[in-house]
Amino acid sequence: MTKDMTKRIYLSVGLLSASILAFQLTLMQLLSVIQWSHFAYMVISVALLGFGASGTLLALARNWFIKYIKIALPSLMILSGASMSLIMLISSTVFGSFDSYLLFVDRSQILGLLVTYFAFFIPFLMGALAIGLVYIHYVEKIGSLYFADLMGSGLGGLLMLLLLWVFYPAQLPSAISLMPLVGGILLIPKEMMLKSVAPVLAVFILPIILIVTPPTLPVSEYKSLSGALNLPDAEIVKEKSSPYGQLSVVRSPALRYAPGLSLTYQGIVPVRDVIFNNGNWFGPVVEWTATDTSHFLDYTTNALPYVISKPGNILLLDSGTGLFAAHALTRGVDNITAVEQNRIATDLLKKDLAEMIDSMYHHDAMNPVNLHSRSYLLKDDNLYDLIILPTSETFGGTSGINALEEQYILTLQALDEMWKRLSENGMISVTSWMDYPSRNPLKLLATLVETHERNSTLPVEKHIAAIRGWGTVTFVLKKSPLSQSETEKIRNFCNRMFFDPVLLPGIDSSERWVYNQLQDDDFFVSVDRIMAEDRSIFYREYDFNIRPSTDNRPYFSQFLKLRRYNKMQEFFGQSTVPFLEIGYLVVLITFLQITAAAVILIILPLFVIGWKGGGRSYTILHFSGIGLGFMFIEITLIQQFILYFGNPIYAAAAVLSGMLICSGAGSLVSSRFNDDSSVIVRVLALIIIFITLYILFLTPLLRLTINFPLLPKIFLSIAFISPAAFFMGMPFPLGLRKLSRQNNTLIPWAWGINGCLSVISTALATIVAVEAGFLWVMMIAALAYGLTLIANFQKTERS
Amino acid sequence: MKSAAVLILLFIIPTQVGYAQNFERKRENMVRQQIQNRGIDHQATLRAMKNVERHLFVPRGQQRRAYDDGPMPIGYGQTISQPYIVAYMTQLVNPGPEDRVLEIGAGSGYQAAVLAEIVDRVYTIEIIPELGNQAKQLLESLNYENVEVIVGDGYFGHEEQAPYDAIVVTAAAEYIPPPLIAQLKDGGKMVIPVGSPFLVQTLMLVEKHGDKITTTNLMPVRFVPFTRR
Repeated sequence: MTKDMTKRIYLSVGLLSASILAFQLTLMQLLSVIQWSHFAYMVISVALLGFGASGTLLALARNWFIKYIKIALPSLMILSGASMSLIMLISSTVFGSFDSYLLFVDRSQILGLLVTYFAFFIPFLMGALAIGLVYIHYVEKIGSLYFADLMGSGLGGLLMLLLLWVFYPAQLPSAISLMPLVGGILLIPKEMMLKSVAPVLAVFILPIILIVTPPTLPVSEYKSLSGALNLPDAEIVKEKSSPYGQLSVVRSPALRYAPGLSLTYQGIVPVRDVIFNNGNWFGPVVEWTATDTSHFLDYTTNALPYVISKPGNILLLDSGTGLFAAHALTRGVDNITAVEQNRIATDLLKKDLAEMIDSMYHHDAMNPVNLHSRSYLLKDDNLYDLIILPTSETFGGTSGINALEEQYILTLQALDEMWKRLSENGMISVTSWMDYPSRNPLKLLATLVETHERNSTLPVEKHIAAIRGWGTVTFVLKKSPLSQSETEKIRNFCNRMFFDPVLLPGIDSSERWVYNQLQDDDFFVSVDRIMAEDRSIFYREYDFNIRPSTDNRPYFSQFLKLRRYNKMQEFFGQSTVPFLEIGYLVVLITFLQITAAAVILIILPLFVIGWKGGGRSYTILHFSGIGLGFMFIEITLIQQFILYFGNPIYAAAAVLSGMLICSGAGSLVSSRFNDDSSVIVRVLALIIIFITLYILFLTPLLRLTINFPLLPKIFLSIAFISPAAFFMGMPFPLGLRKLSRQNNTLIPWAWGINGCLSVISTALATIVAVEAGFLWVMMIAALAYGLTLIANFQKTERS
Repeated sequence: MKSAAVLILLFIIPTQVGYAQNFERKRENMVRQQIQNRGIDHQATLRAMKNVERHLFVPRGQQRRAYDDGPMPIGYGQTISQPYIVAYMTQLVNPGPEDRVLEIGAGSGYQAAVLAEIVDRVYTIEIIPELGNQAKQLLESLNYENVEVIVGDGYFGHEEQAPYDAIVVTAAAEYIPPPLIAQLKDGGKMVIPVGSPFLVQTLMLVEKHGDKITTTNLMPVRFVPFTRR
């Protein structure tokens, strides 16, 4: 191989690897826009499946690939790139062929989901085949090639953060596809170059056309943006793309917003613009003028805290488009801190839409802050008379679409921090849509009651007020007891608005149903049981998970109890139940499908090669243990870093890049080590120590540095990740080397088992996190490495 | 050529007749099993549900599922409600032959057709022009002369023909438009499904008695009326 060719191969591998990682992140972003973000782990699984299947294919057809390597290598790279942009050309088929909302009513949707898997699988398979082929053929350069591969991947993640500012999601796959296309062309042999000119030029035409004129994304018709665009004369008047998502401002003369408005309201519900982020409702752009003396929210249950007292200093968490800020300004609040992490949305409100809201964000009383609400709470030391949380759940329910979203603002630990920020008579207020069967309001109440118990010895009954309209319920937790005059004010307000009190000191049960009757008294019975001391028994008995969420299990909107699924099905009907908690069920279904695909595409073909000789149990234990352990740590770190960065894409990019670069370096260094079992045992022991350190110290370390600017945070995150990742890169090559000395036929099995477990572990880690918490995900990872250590230890003993 | 055409006709005609009979049988089963057995006893409603050919109000490719016990997508993110919900909502407003009813959210026009079988006049408003125009054409082709389909924003109701004995809101919103409350007769009833169309919907009855307005969340309905166990 000439020097020039060597350089070109390194560059091509780097470009291809960068594109593969960037493509993973792009698909996550695209699926967030078109469907919902809970498909993110599916993308990782499919990518890993591509790599696993490529290993098997190379094991089966190694000689054929080597024989035609001159054509096969550039072709595979070009095919990988071409299939990335082709996805956008047939985007309506790929993304529009299934809708997770219809998955449980229309069986053909399962086929659609499989089509989507397949379309995603191809670019990864082609890319992985190219990389695998390079490794096999240029085995003498394996160290440097592996480094180019992992560096490329790492840089691909960081490059993605830049691309998200420049391109809209629909342009990204085509932009990224240029990298493997260039990589492939660099590897076309000189003697074939002339013949290849026409096809080479042709492959660039498609992505360029798709970048210049990106196709319209087939956004699910059940997403809020689609619903709004169906309204007459609806149009998107402004769009902005960033790592925070794709913001769309929609205008229509029929777009109105007045959540749970009292039936006594006589005025006009004004028309508003609405901002959507990734196709999901973000918030209405409230028309507001500095001279307004009343606000429509005065006619909703949201007015409860203002009925109790006039706050001087308030904190709005996840303030969105400033609806509650406008209300507070109208109520004459002196000091309003509005915390919203999406700074692009705040910029829109400050600049482009400023006229509509009378430059509300420049008002003297306003203090807008662009931070994750939880990060702000950790940093802030002011005291507030009122802290308002965003409205929980949406009208009509979200069917558990947000079940897998980490909501660090609604955990007990977050509420503890809010409590500390309350002034002497301070209040925490939160409103929820009523749902049936009741879940959201009950979990919110449970969270408020437990927060009070964790921070005060006084009886909670005197500190909580709740009122209910025809559609919403608002809770207020007050630091000091509610006075007699305050409870009277609440009663009067309810009578004026046709609302009913749910919780008040000394409430009579007959007061709860005067204006708005419920179908039965289940809701009130549940409320009373949560207020009672033995609420843990009620949590266990209730059919849905309404136990407050914690930082360890921050899934506030995950209500499904798997063991009650059959009972639910019996009660609500087979095809209704999925819609109660669709998000989590889609994860479970994907987990089953991806497991079946991994076994069929990776493991079964290996039986052609056969399974001979000794070392089989070692192969299974070592390579499955490190496959599962690695992915469990990776997924946990991504989820932990979501709070740190306040953004899932930043978190995924930082963790994936950091782990790839560091484990690549570890793998390179390991080539200098002896591959006997004692070395592997020591490496594995170090990994277990690092995981233990993560369990003990990672969260406090992240909390300590959460307020640092973005760049230092990226460096710090790499510093936190790198030591463990460095050693986690070693057991795989060390194990392979050891196997190759002992029983060469087991190598494809080792690849296959490792690939298979990696694929399965992605979704499995999420399921374990939801069911048991991140702590358990980490502990299982440690256990998996522990089993691997025992397998190697036994090997040491025997040798 | 002629004989081929005759042959085709010989196959097509019996098939069409077969489909029609099949749908009629399915409709009767639907009324008996899904509606009567679940406690709907308003005779006019039962007759209307038997008469209206539901399969004509669903997308052509989905007609075989038209009489299934569930809601169905009709495009534009909208659904045609489960037959039981349609019957239950109709019974709730207790429609009479002299009544004037306003419907908000025509969708494919099915609920309007059921009401039109019972009452004097139905005004139905659909905000999505494509759906509204389709419903208008369909109802015209089925000779529902007492239905007026209005393509527009249901927020304002239809003041020209107010007040109404009943208002049936099939497309619920986060607020109940004040103009609708104003257009309801004293003693009139408004029924609104609250909840996602795919989920358990709780039907809410709004009643106006002079200046006082009350709401009642009725039994949540989807496949069976839920009762506590």
